[in-house]
Amino acid sequence: MFHSKKPTMNSHERPMCVQGDSGLVLTTDPKPRLRWTVELHDRFVDAVTQLGGPDKATPKTIMRVMGVKGLTLYHLKSHLQKFRLGKQPHKEFNDHSVKDATSLDLQRNMASSSGMMGRTMNENVHITEAIRMQMEVQRRLHEQLEVQKHLQMRIEAQGKYMQSILEKACQTLTGENNMAGGSSYKSLGHQGGVVDLCNLKDLGSPMSFPSLQDLHLFGSGDHLDIHQQASLDGYMQISDTNICLGKKRPNLYMSNGKSPMLWSDELRLQELGSGSACMGPQEEPSKSDQLQIAPSVMDSGIDMDSISDVYETKPMISGDSSGEKKYEGSSKLERPSPRRAPLNPMLRGGPLSQTRNISHG
Amino acid sequence: MEVMIEEGGAYFSGCSSTTTTTTLNDDDLAGEWADWASIVDWGTLANPADDFHSLIDSMLCDYNDITAGNSTAATGSISSTTTSCPSSPRSDEEDDVKGLRLVHLLMAAAEAMAAPAKDGRELARVILVRLKELLPVNGGGGGGGGSTMERLAVHFTDALLGLLDGGARHRDNHHHHHHHSNHDVIAAFQLLQDMSPYVKFGHFTANQAILEAVAGDRRVHIVDYDIMEGIQWASLMQALASRKDGPPAPHLRITAVTRSGAGGAKRPMSSVQETGRRLAAFAASIGQPFSFSHCRLDSDEKFRPAGVKVVKGEALVVNCMLHVPHTPERSPASVASFLAGAASLRPRLVTLVEEEEEEEEGGGFMGRFMAALHRYSAVCDSLEAGFPMHGRARGLVERVFLGPRIAGAVGRAFKGKDEDGGGGGGGWAERMAAMGFSGVGISFFNQCQARLLLGLFHDGYRVEETAANKLVLGWKSRRLLSASVWLAPATAGSPAASCGVKEGGDDGEEFDVLMMQSSPSI
Repeated sequence: MFHSKKPTMNSHERPMCVQGDSGLVLTTDPKPRLRWTVELHDRFVDAVTQLGGPDKATPKTIMRVMGVKGLTLYHLKSHLQKFRLGKQPHKEFNDHSVKDATSLDLQRNMASSSGMMGRTMNENVHITEAIRMQMEVQRRLHEQLEVQKHLQMRIEAQGKYMQSILEKACQTLTGENNMAGGSSYKSLGHQGGVVDLCNLKDLGSPMSFPSLQDLHLFGSGDHLDIHQQASLDGYMQISDTNICLGKKRPNLYMSNGKSPMLWSDELRLQELGSGSACMGPQEEPSKSDQLQIAPSVMDSGIDMDSISDVYETKPMISGDSSGEKKYEGSSKLERPSPRRAPLNPMLRGGPLSQTRNISHG
Repeated sequence: MEVMIEEGGAYFSGCSSTTTTTTLNDDDLAGEWADWASIVDWGTLANPADDFHSLIDSMLCDYNDITAGNSTAATGSISSTTTSCPSSPRSDEEDDVKGLRLVHLLMAAAEAMAAPAKDGRELARVILVRLKELLPVNGGGGGGGGSTMERLAVHFTDALLGLLDGGARHRDNHHHHHHHSNHDVIAAFQLLQDMSPYVKFGHFTANQAILEAVAGDRRVHIVDYDIMEGIQWASLMQALASRKDGPPAPHLRITAVTRSGAGGAKRPMSSVQETGRRLAAFAASIGQPFSFSHCRLDSDEKFRPAGVKVVKGEALVVNCMLHVPHTPERSPASVASFLAGAASLRPRLVTLVEEEEEEEEGGGFMGRFMAALHRYSAVCDSLEAGFPMHGRARGLVERVFLGPRIAGAVGRAFKGKDEDGGGGGGGWAERMAAMGFSGVGISFFNQCQARLLLGLFHDGYRVEETAANKLVLGWKSRRLLSASVWLAPATAGSPAASCGVKEGGDDGEEFDVLMMQSSPSI
């Protein structure tokens, strides 16, 4: 009995020795094994992150960066291998947005929290999976925000260019009019269907720049989709990481500066938690959004009445039926144009925008 | 018979409720047409033309009687008013009934034209003349008059009449274009952009692909087939001038490839020179280094790659916008020669925007005609949904852009695809694949941009990725426009050299017209 016990003792409790200044915990075997303490693991993870992720880091470079005495290539090699296995799901993510400083930040954050939460790779896998999804969501959001910004600028550029065409045409037109010595403006057109070009020019810019809030609302709608999908997939259950990442989000978007209004809403939505709840409260935030933005749109020079005048106050052709007139008249009151719909918060916040989400998702 | 009418009624009541319109259902229509065809025994129509008129009238009367009876039974609201003249105040049901009648008459006319017998054309003419009487005088012209179907029918009737009037007038299909004043065209163009995503979708998708392909290049050269007023390049310049990575604001050169001077009048909006000047002014305003040159197509609209001066070290991109609603039509031979020539220039990227053509049921002239009818009713629908109350503005867009396009489409449908010269059928994308071009994937950014763009317009627009390198813009269930991105065939190496690609040299025949020089014609 005594004899049989001894070997077991040996294999279980290898004599340990702590190596002085570097704090390494090694077995006293001829081929000494290393205990990866939390602290050591953290340093390892920092080094890996600094080197651009587990796929870029090599044992040699890690050893250099960590600078821990007594740590051998052999130790690092096997630990890196395990680390890579645990990180596998991240590969895709890293490929996409390593350049992103914020994502690096998140990665570090994630890595250290995983270090604290436990040494088992299993757990790591679970958490990194959840974080990966969260980051994927953020990456997409970030990208979408970028796209929005660019699209807005492109539309504006095109509008500006169109403006120059209209201005030129308008000049020619007035020139022709003067030459003709006050002849009727309409004579230039055909069948009386001329749209007043000079007026058109004036409203050119607001008409051809779809308003910012349109972009935003659309964006937030799409975001909800992703958000919801992700939460259905279960990352919400890991509440610790979720909260900590949630706190990071404001930085991510506030640093962007330009459109905080959208993202503050999203934060609220995120706090509201589970997927199905996300859809409900959408109405409220978007409403407040609308109220904020609407005046600025007005300032930028859209004069609704003058727009509709161009199209609607033209004299009707006498042959037109009275029914036609009635139609135009009544629709003028309602103004169901999609571009104007956003000014009416109820329209967008309500079920309409939800159907849109579905159709685009 | 009863069944047929009921189907029709159901379909049209769905169709004319203005904003929430559904597109035509192919199966329903085809079915109706079969029924309708069986009503009329074409064999008995081999009579002198005089009889046709009364025959058509009696057809209409029969039809109206049946319909009126049916409607009454169904709704109890309409009675004999259905047969009253078109200018009377109308209700939705009346519009439906009338719309259905118009579709049937159009189909009857098209069918008659497709018939091999000579009488067929006469019958078609009679039907079309009668059709014109039914339509509001200014339905397509004055703008805003009549229901969507009526306005559509005006254009299709004109198109068919144009075909009947034979080659001379047919040749001049685009004469509509010249008849509009410059200002009408510009106004319509502006409205089209505001009402629909058609123009921006093509331009932005192509531009984004170009931007991704030339990221980091110091010199970018775009060879643009049919530059029109150049509006596509404003947004590209903006993006180039503000790009973050890579050298700031690369030099941009655009070579506009246009038809030769003889057809100068076909360019209603602005001359190439004017476009160049405007682009240069725009570029200057945002600090984008820019130069502009011009390459004419041969007299037969063939493209000669030698006319494009290629400088070593610049990223060459070929851009080809076809059939976007506001561009004039080009002969397939010309497009084919441009694409082949473009391949020999060995560009970095080729971007193509073209009409998506859906498979037509049955084939033949009728099938193609119906496909065109469906297609343009979807377009009209989308415009109407985009600007529900601006009848006059919409009318202008339809008159200036859709009318000529419908005439062209009907003309092509009648000629048949075999005469296209391109052969093989299908869109240009298929032909490019056959020519050895390979697709370049559309980026996530680009897809996202297209979705965001459509989000600014009516809910009925949708974007699909039908291939890795192709985004399709559709209205409801109908695909309308596609943008695709391509790489030139890799094997074009030796032909390119023999095609006279000049490398920075400026000897030989010079086709470039320097921007600010005044140059003749066009």
